[in-house]
Amino acid sequence: MLLQFFYAFASTAGFCLIFNVPRRHMISASTVGALGWTAFQYALFIGHGNVAACFFGSCVVALLSDICSRVFKDATTLFIIPGILPLVPGAGMYNTMLAFLDSNFEKMTKIGSETILMAGSIAVALLMVASLIKAIVTIKRGFFDLFRKRKNLKNINSEQ
Amino acid sequence: MINQVQKKILILALFAGEIMLKSGAEIYRVEDTVTRICKACNIPYAEVFATTTGIFVSVDEGSEHSDMHTFLKRIRNNSIDLEKISKINQFSRTFATTDLSIDEGMDLLKEINHSSQFAFLWRVLGAGMIASFFTVMLGGRLLDFIASFAIGVLTYFVTILLERLELNLFIKDFCSCALVAFLALLFVGIGLGHSTHLIIIGSIMIFLPGVSITNAVRDSLTGDLVSGLSRAMEAILVAVAIAAGVGLVLKIFGAFGGVY
Repeated sequence: MLLQFFYAFASTAGFCLIFNVPRRHMISASTVGALGWTAFQYALFIGHGNVAACFFGSCVVALLSDICSRVFKDATTLFIIPGILPLVPGAGMYNTMLAFLDSNFEKMTKIGSETILMAGSIAVALLMVASLIKAIVTIKRGFFDLFRKRKNLKNINSEQ
Repeated sequence: MINQVQKKILILALFAGEIMLKSGAEIYRVEDTVTRICKACNIPYAEVFATTTGIFVSVDEGSEHSDMHTFLKRIRNNSIDLEKISKINQFSRTFATTDLSIDEGMDLLKEINHSSQFAFLWRVLGAGMIASFFTVMLGGRLLDFIASFAIGVLTYFVTILLERLELNLFIKDFCSCALVAFLALLFVGIGLGHSTHLIIIGSIMIFLPGVSITNAVRDSLTGDLVSGLSRAMEAILVAVAIAAGVGLVLKIFGAFGGVY
């Protein structure tokens, strides 16, 4: 698992180089990607399917990159894009294509649908985490606003 | 009539939006930046509509005699550059909070636009790292590592050359992935590497449309459905181009009696 973490760290760092992530964020972005991949491997290890594991890994990436963007005060995209890339199902796509070349259509539909589901699960994971965070932030802000309004009302009342 | 100052403001805002879109930012971030710059320059009414291929901006002074003006900017040639997004994000904040003049802002933007990427050598090294470590991650051995590192470096080099030719996106990915498959077969053929499959899977990771998938979701989430759909379409087409590129080479190799 530790080796997997290291490999994922290195390959995410490679993505950071290609996509020109600012130098000061490179280590944190690579760590996000590596943790996402480790979560994916862990979910596979405890016996979940590819799709569920991919979902779990993407959730981890989305959450961590949101935390990072808040801590470092920079755009979330900087962390999500390099982090999510190791989870994109390249192997599934390649195997689908191989099955297609063999004219093995049964195998092709089987692997192909799993690949599409994996890509879909990345999308759903990103969507869910982002909406959840948005909801939490709005509720927090909403509560504070309510509080502030009451305070203002009180002030006005006391002035009167 | 629109006066000169407003024209300058608009050019500034559009330029900022253009750089962001070209670097692969989400739509709401672009629209937010352009609106913020316009508002910072005391244009009360500014409405922005951005898609992945263009930005529309409408502005109005808000007085009784003023006309409404609409500007349009076509965006071509996307290349992902996250540092520019980060820099312009900070630029729009400082521009809104401090009283930077428009000319100074323009100079800053030009500086950002010309800010260099990582040196060529570093980027090539990055491509090599992606390919090689991915191969190992999926269970490759030392020889596979070396072979895919070489393939990653070579294909990324070729991709940059193809970018200079300004071919369209799909042909570019098709050619690069065909080259990946060819080199993988070659390396395994001369004994450098054990598994063709693992080497190819690792090396095509560089070209996979992960960015398009991510951005498609994030755009759809904020209600920019047009851009979300177009990016999803881009992801599908790129995936098909990659599969076709690799598949073609493998098929030809098979037709000559090779076993992959």
